[in-house]
Amino acid sequence: MKFFLKLIFFMVLIGLLQSCAVESKPIPYGATNCAHCNMTVADNRFGAELVNDKGKPFFFDSAECLMAYLNENAAEGEKAAFVLVTDFTKPTELVDARNGFFLQSKNLPSPMGMNLVAVANEATATQLQQEKGGRILSWQQVLQAVKNNENPQ
Amino acid sequence: MKTLSNHLLLLVCTLVLLPLSFQVKGGTLNVCNTCTYTSVKQAVKAAKSGDKVVVNGGVYQEAGIEITKPLTLVGVNRPVLDGNFKGQIITIMADHVVVKGLTLKNIATSYTRDDAAIRVVERHQVKILNNTILNTYFGIYLQNAEFCEIRGNVVSGKDVAGQNESALGNAIHLWHCNNAVITGNTLRGHRDGIYLEFVKDSHVKDNLSQNNLRYGLHFMFSDGNVYTHNTFRKNGAGVAVMYTRNIRMEYNTFENNWGAASYGLLLKDISNSQIYHNTFRQNTSGIYMESSSRLDVQRNTFDRNGWAIRLLSSCTEDVFSQNNFTGNSFDVSTNGNSTLNRFENNYWDKYTGYDLNKDKVGDVPYRPVSLYSMLIEKVPSSVMFMRSFMVDLMDNVEKVLPSFIPDQLIDEHPVMRRIKDDNHREFTKTVR
Repeated sequence: MKFFLKLIFFMVLIGLLQSCAVESKPIPYGATNCAHCNMTVADNRFGAELVNDKGKPFFFDSAECLMAYLNENAAEGEKAAFVLVTDFTKPTELVDARNGFFLQSKNLPSPMGMNLVAVANEATATQLQQEKGGRILSWQQVLQAVKNNENPQ
Repeated sequence: MKTLSNHLLLLVCTLVLLPLSFQVKGGTLNVCNTCTYTSVKQAVKAAKSGDKVVVNGGVYQEAGIEITKPLTLVGVNRPVLDGNFKGQIITIMADHVVVKGLTLKNIATSYTRDDAAIRVVERHQVKILNNTILNTYFGIYLQNAEFCEIRGNVVSGKDVAGQNESALGNAIHLWHCNNAVITGNTLRGHRDGIYLEFVKDSHVKDNLSQNNLRYGLHFMFSDGNVYTHNTFRKNGAGVAVMYTRNIRMEYNTFENNWGAASYGLLLKDISNSQIYHNTFRQNTSGIYMESSSRLDVQRNTFDRNGWAIRLLSSCTEDVFSQNNFTGNSFDVSTNGNSTLNRFENNYWDKYTGYDLNKDKVGDVPYRPVSLYSMLIEKVPSSVMFMRSFMVDLMDNVEKVLPSFIPDQLIDEHPVMRRIKDDNHREFTKTVR
C-alpha cells in the first residue's frame, strides 16, 4: 500500500514537472491568430513562434510579425526561452531565429508584404539567393530592416 | 481643303476600325479526339494572334500550356484539362487573352513556386470566365496584371472542415493588380477565397466564398476597393481588411463564421471606409476592430452573434448608426475606454427604456457594453459563468449604477423599433 502511494506521488510529481518544462510547441496552423497582426496563422512556410521564460508560446503568421513584436516589446525578446522561425525550404520545421539567415527578395512574397523568408543556414540562404535574387540578412540586420520597414524592390 | 478632308476621312476610318481590330475574327482551331489537333498545347502553339482555339469535350492530360499571343481559348461540352500534378496548367503571357468554359484540375502543392491552374504574368485585359477549377494549390493567380476580369468561375479545393491542413493556396490571388473585376465566382476549400495584396480600384461582387481555411476575402495594403453583394460563409473568418484605406463594403452577408479565432469581419489598421447594409449572422464576433479609424458603420444587421462588435480602444472616430442589434450574446465589447467612437440611433433588442413622448426614440440612453463583457475581455475564461445568476445580478447593478463601464460609450438616442431596410432584404434575396 505504502509502495503504491509512493508510486502515485512520484507519478504526480513527474507529471507536474513535465507540464512546467519550457519547450517549443508545434504551430497550430489554421487554429490560432498571430500575436502581432491578429491574422490566422495559415501558411506553414512562414510561421514563427516565441516561447517566453514561463513557457507560454506566442504564435506569429510570419517572421516579420515576430520581429515587429520584438521591436515593440524588446524585454520579451531578451527573456524569451525560444525565438523560432520556419525554414522556408522545409515547411513546419522550426529553427532558432537568432542564428538563422533571412533572404529578402521581391520574388518571394511573404504574408506581410516584406518579401522576407527565413532559412536555417547560410548555404541554403545563398542557394536560394542565386535562384530568387535579393539580399541576405542576419538576425540583427533583419530586426533593423523591419523596424525601418525597408523593402528594396 | 482636300488634304483636310482626306485627313478627316483617315481619322474617321481609324476611329471606326480601331475598336473592330480587336474583334477581327481570326482562324478557329478545333481541338477534340478526332480533330486536326488532339492536344490543347499544340493548338495554342500553332494559333496566330487573334485566333480562337475551341476545345470540344474530352479529357486532356496536359500541363504547362503557355499562351504568348492574344488568343481566345474556349471549352465547349465541358472539356477537362488534367494537370496530373505536373505543375501549372495555363500560364498567360499576352494581353487580351480570354479563357472560358474549361475544367482544370489536379495541381500539387509546391512551396517554392506557388503553382496555379491559371496564372497571368504581367499582362493586361485578360478575361477568365466560367471555368471550373478543382483540387489545385492556387486557383487563379494574377501578378502585375491590370484591368483583368474574373467572372463566373468555380474554384474548389480540399475539404478543410475539421482539419488543420495548411498546404493550401488561395482560390483567387491577386498581387499588384489594379482595376480588377471579380464577380460571380464560387470559391471553397482554399486558404483564402480571394486574396488581394497591393490591389487598387477593384470591384468584388456577387461572389460566394465558403469553407475556406482562413478568410473568405482578404485585403492587404489594398486601397480604394469596393466589395458588394457577396456571401461569406463558414470560413476561418469572413473578411479581413488590413493596412488599407477607402474600402466600400455594402450588402454583404457574413454568416456562420464560428470558432475561437473567428470573425465575420476583421478590421485592422483601416481608415476612411464605409460599411453599409451588411448582414452579420451567427458569427463568433460580427466585427472585430483594431486600430481602425474614421469608419462609417450604417444600417447593418447584427443577428445572433456571440459578440456583435468588438471595438478595441485603439479605434477612433468611428460612427455606428441605424444598425439593428438582435439576439447577440454581447452587443459591444471593448478593452478600455473607447471614448472617441459614436453610437447613435441604433436599435438594440436588449434596450429596456421607454418612449413617453412617442417620437420612436428612447427617452433614456442605452449602454451597449455590459460589465460582464468587459470582464471577459480581461479574463477570457470567465465566459463559463455566462447566463449565471451572479452575472445577471452584476450586469443589472451596473445598469442602475454605472461605475465600471465606459461612460462615454453610449447610445443617447436608441430607436424603439427595428429599423426596416427593405432595400437590403431585396438585395440579399437576389444574391441567394
